[in-house]
Amino acid sequence: MEKTQKSTKRLATAKELRQIVADFYLEGHQAKQAGKPIGWMPPMNGLIEIFYAMDLMPAFPENWSPVCAAFGLNDKNFQTAEEMGFSRDLCGYMRNNVGYIYGMMGTAGVPLGGLPEPDMVFLPGGGCVPTMKNFQYIARRFPEAKVFKADLPQVPIENIQRYHIDYAISEINRIIAFLTEVTGRKLDYDRLKEAVRLSDQACALWDEIMAYRRYKPTPLSAAEIGLMFVMVTRQGTQIAVDYLTRVRDEVRERAEREIGVIADEKIRLYWDNIPLWYNLGLFNYFERFGGVVVAETYSAAWSIRLDVDKPIEALAMKSLMSYPMVSCVSMKRRKEMVLRACRDYSIDGAILHSNKSCLPITLGQMDIERALQEELGISSVIIEADHMDPRNFSIAQFEERVNPFMEMLLARTS
Amino acid sequence: MSHIDLSPFVDAVRERAELLPRYAERQKVFGWFCTYTPIELIHAAGFLPVRIYGGATPIKLANTLVPDFVCPYMRTSLERALRGEYKYLSGVIQGYTCDVPCGIINIWEENAGPGLFHSVPLPYNTTESAKSFYRETLTELTQKLAAYGGNIDADSLQRSLDLYREIRTCLLHLHELRFQNRLALSASGFYTVAEAGFSLPPDVYLKYLQSLTSALGNKEPRKTAGIPVIVSGSLLEDTTVFDLIESAGGRVAADDLCNGYRFCCPADGTGSDPMERLIDRYMRRFPCPARSVIGDRVIRIKELIERSGAAGVIFVFQKFCTPHLADYPALADELKKDGIPVLQVETDETISNRGQLKTRFEAFFEMIGV
Repeated sequence: MEKTQKSTKRLATAKELRQIVADFYLEGHQAKQAGKPIGWMPPMNGLIEIFYAMDLMPAFPENWSPVCAAFGLNDKNFQTAEEMGFSRDLCGYMRNNVGYIYGMMGTAGVPLGGLPEPDMVFLPGGGCVPTMKNFQYIARRFPEAKVFKADLPQVPIENIQRYHIDYAISEINRIIAFLTEVTGRKLDYDRLKEAVRLSDQACALWDEIMAYRRYKPTPLSAAEIGLMFVMVTRQGTQIAVDYLTRVRDEVRERAEREIGVIADEKIRLYWDNIPLWYNLGLFNYFERFGGVVVAETYSAAWSIRLDVDKPIEALAMKSLMSYPMVSCVSMKRRKEMVLRACRDYSIDGAILHSNKSCLPITLGQMDIERALQEELGISSVIIEADHMDPRNFSIAQFEERVNPFMEMLLARTS
Repeated sequence: MSHIDLSPFVDAVRERAELLPRYAERQKVFGWFCTYTPIELIHAAGFLPVRIYGGATPIKLANTLVPDFVCPYMRTSLERALRGEYKYLSGVIQGYTCDVPCGIINIWEENAGPGLFHSVPLPYNTTESAKSFYRETLTELTQKLAAYGGNIDADSLQRSLDLYREIRTCLLHLHELRFQNRLALSASGFYTVAEAGFSLPPDVYLKYLQSLTSALGNKEPRKTAGIPVIVSGSLLEDTTVFDLIESAGGRVAADDLCNGYRFCCPADGTGSDPMERLIDRYMRRFPCPARSVIGDRVIRIKELIERSGAAGVIFVFQKFCTPHLADYPALADELKKDGIPVLQVETDETISNRGQLKTRFEAFFEMIGV
């Protein structure tokens, strides 16, 4: 196995994704040329729907990082960041982004043309500390861009109360006022409702697609996780709905015709934590043992339905819930979610990625491991790696841990 | 250097593991990690707030629950909790700043609970709506404390605010003397005084502090040799680093630490009611990187340099401390632009790299001295 490796995809619709990615970045550059304001923002919040509703162009530095990893740009970006004094112990998304904006950004030959320069930067007050800092560096790098400091209560999902929602709503209203002032564009609430409706439809399709993974054999594995791109960048648009509809149709057909990811599915696996973006081929590694990754933590972040009749409140709820759902903010809820997924997807074993680049998702994994064993009798293996930095990943150690684990599961299932 | 009697503070630090369970027999004791925790509110409820001590200790149990790339303070704190050393606590209350304490508090509850384990969400802005939101979060904490028998009213909160204002005023006075090189205490003595306040009942601590300030006032101010520096980082529980700085030719003239200036500045807030006073103080407090933008910290650190006459800044980070490691490149860049020398070092809880630190401090002071 290679240290950096692309995944083998089985869906025909997965091939369309390359064009969807290219179109998104092209649209960003065209928007820049046309004078359409561009805002850099963190993912998993309600900003995207507002942007599309106001005909503004969003850009997602965190999403650019996996793209960099796929194109092999991460090493160069890390080098730039480390020369600036950034510790290798910091989150890889952050180091990649900072390295990119202070390094190769704007140079010739950057794949997809890179990120278009921001006219606005949103500094998040919620989410993880590396994300907060990442955007602070972005604001420093682009002093001409208008900056909005956006607050968001950090609260476990099970503790969300009316006042948290009201504050999140007041912040969204402040954002709308800011956008109106900076861009001169007014928000049409009917368009916002439509964006929220499309977003909700995308979430419904996402849930439907994920539900087909319960079939045996599963028609879709984590090797196709790139599908998530439309959930990150195109929520609130018809593009996401149309694409996910085609994916859903294909997955449904495969499920009904019992076409699995591999010919002889023997072991069903759960993946906890962010994938190794520079080695999505790792998801195919398990196939030599008859193993398929049929569910993962990260995909749950896109499973939040929105109340179309209350668009602002729906976006507030989405903003409040997305990050806690997949992090240590809401450990109880996260554990419940993993256990439920393992039951629903008939999981035989779990791969817990102890992620050097993401403590908020890694913390609590050992409690999850114990709960899986004690409550469901599901064994886990912990692999030490990093979602962005291949230097923190050893193939030999991975194989040393995973091979006997898979052999053990094989013996158990047979 | 010091002829001042620090024994009440030294004893309080040395004996806290024995003293605190005894305190807990009389009143509920709640732990906290971060200086963004509204300890006045906990005290006003009739409880004793104490900072969780991590300290130097071998880590075994915590390794079964968290990876090794967690900062030493969090790992050792969890280790002690799992060993049962914090059984006397009725819970842990935390201002939500860094991601890691938020996760650790949940792991603690799961594995060494039960009790009141609560992270207080904090505003990122200072708008009116942020203030209203903050008030709601504190009201929620008040209710949670009430469920544990706490009884907070305007008078009790006012009294607690007054008490902590006096404590912070005394500590700020010591900081001020240190800025002027008129403090007859070694750096390790200074931080022992501060450390004692994290576990003593505040009324007792205030008396000790007042005696100390009075004793210091009676002494002839004496200038201490050494190149003045600011020490910046999160928490430095082990005073070895300060001793190493002083023995290498430096003098700690100011700090940007959780167990230093960040705890006591400002002493108080203002407002039409006690809750507003509390909110005002915490919203104007000396910032931590986890809840502020880098530019604001640059301004604050430059102010400290101005006031203390520091000739350089030594950043002492706990390994894997994301908020501080993330701010460092920009802070260093801004300070260097102003010709201020900076040094960055990392430590673990046992300061196992003390030989290396000593060499680096000596080289740094030699460079500044030249």
